[in-house]
Amino acid sequence: MGRVGIGLALAAFAVALTLPQFAGPFWMGLVTQMLIFGLLALSVDLLLGQTGLFSLCHASFFAVAAYTTAILQVRYAVPTLLAAPAGLVAGTLLALGFGLAVRTRGVYFILITIALGYIVWGVLHRWSSFTGGDNGVTNVPFPAVGELRIGSHTEYYYFVLAVVIACALVYRVLIASPFGLSLRGIKASETRTRSLGYRTGLHLYAAFVLSGLLASLAGVLYVYYNRFVNPVSASFPISVEATLMAIIGGSGTIAGPFIGSGIILGLRNWVSSFFELYATVMGVVFIATVLWAPDGIVGLVNRLRAARARRKAL
Amino acid sequence: MTPPAIEVGALTKEFGGLRAVDGISLSVATGERRVLIGPNGAGKTTLFHCITGTLSPSAGRVALFGRDVTALAESRRTALGMGRTFQISNVFANLSLAENLVLALIGTGRRKWIMHRPVGAYPDLRRRALEGLEHVGLRQRADESVKHLSYGERRQLELALALNSNPKVLFLDEPCAGLSPGERQRISKMIGALPRDITLVMIEHDMDVALGLADRVTVLHRGRIILEGSPAEVQANPEVRDVYFGHV
Repeated sequence: MGRVGIGLALAAFAVALTLPQFAGPFWMGLVTQMLIFGLLALSVDLLLGQTGLFSLCHASFFAVAAYTTAILQVRYAVPTLLAAPAGLVAGTLLALGFGLAVRTRGVYFILITIALGYIVWGVLHRWSSFTGGDNGVTNVPFPAVGELRIGSHTEYYYFVLAVVIACALVYRVLIASPFGLSLRGIKASETRTRSLGYRTGLHLYAAFVLSGLLASLAGVLYVYYNRFVNPVSASFPISVEATLMAIIGGSGTIAGPFIGSGIILGLRNWVSSFFELYATVMGVVFIATVLWAPDGIVGLVNRLRAARARRKAL
Repeated sequence: MTPPAIEVGALTKEFGGLRAVDGISLSVATGERRVLIGPNGAGKTTLFHCITGTLSPSAGRVALFGRDVTALAESRRTALGMGRTFQISNVFANLSLAENLVLALIGTGRRKWIMHRPVGAYPDLRRRALEGLEHVGLRQRADESVKHLSYGERRQLELALALNSNPKVLFLDEPCAGLSPGERQRISKMIGALPRDITLVMIEHDMDVALGLADRVTVLHRGRIILEGSPAEVQANPEVRDVYFGHV
């Protein structure tokens, strides 16, 4: 991160801290959603941007974590301190299973993850005696630890913000670590990493599980924000949207998935208020990204800055 | 008696109906420098792939210092001391030169699993990566992206990657392919200067390079060995001239 990057991060942090002072509850809710789905997009990008694996089943981990936490809180009155970690564990256990998909590559990996995602959606949808079917699980309370209770959307926003910042910092160390470098090596040339002594399958599996853990965390944050969860959260479009967020914002970066999440959710809210064919607009945005900013917004900004630096140097 | 560094027994590799390697047996002594020559399609690279584990053979066995490694994955063979370069440069194009070398350095140890500290927290890795680059004359470019390297420089980096995985037996697949005469000399000098305790198995088309470096030469033709001998013997052999250089 250069000086400009640090400056931008600090400015974003300052805005994020003071936002509740001048934004109403609607906007605070939207920004909270952007952060949560940005985290989901970041989890997708741990695979896509670092290892090159294109996964389309991350809504599964997100939803299974959300359902687990919701069912425990609502039906069994389990306290947050147990219900939230249980959600993380459930989502991560699922990732431990689904991670076996890394035995395949390329289009086969994509197809298998799509199929796995549909299985989870189908189970949540049809097993209504346990999951509530289409209605899902409602009346999830705000998180509370003993006497400490989050009582408003603004308080919850600050909580999400803190979790997201912590995740971004941990993620930053992870991708800069020898393990993270190994993942980028596998992305560049799996044959070469193998011949240098890497069991590439094991590395990819570990990345998949970590990515599932991060998606589960997004799911738990989501269920306490949304206060209810239904099978839509496990649906294929959620996985696709998270991937698009990463690509539009800038795959392979930390800020990118959050920027993408901001753009997609912001556009959806804005456009859908006056135009029914919101999905068409998103399609156009995505095509424009692929054509003119294939490395996403972050990539575009970097390219423009490099071009300006070159002009100055001449 | 110490076992040979590499022992290949009746190795066969078939692709559909094509028998690319046809029952080859080969033994390379520890510290020896062996060059494989043969016309295009002789099965040299396929043999390499089978020995290093990139491909699994249809039949036959491979032993490394007397230990049967036929069933082991490529990464395990690397951990046991095999290193290799690729005929077509296979380096990490999206990373810097120094990062390329770090990947080679940590590949055979446990440090590739460290997740909680950045690479920068291990100064010894940086130092050893720079040493490795120095060795192939690329130290000045340590922090550049591999994208900016010329073809010849990529070959040098390719060699540096193989060397820094700390191999006991090094397999070089046409290290000089596609290089200018000046670059060839530079690379073959580098190879010649390798410590003698590294066993070297090399595929090379350039006869000057091959015969200058080799202790022994093995000639392959259509998946079989047609001759094995000293460079002088191979050069003098009329059959080799026939298959390798064609009828004159």
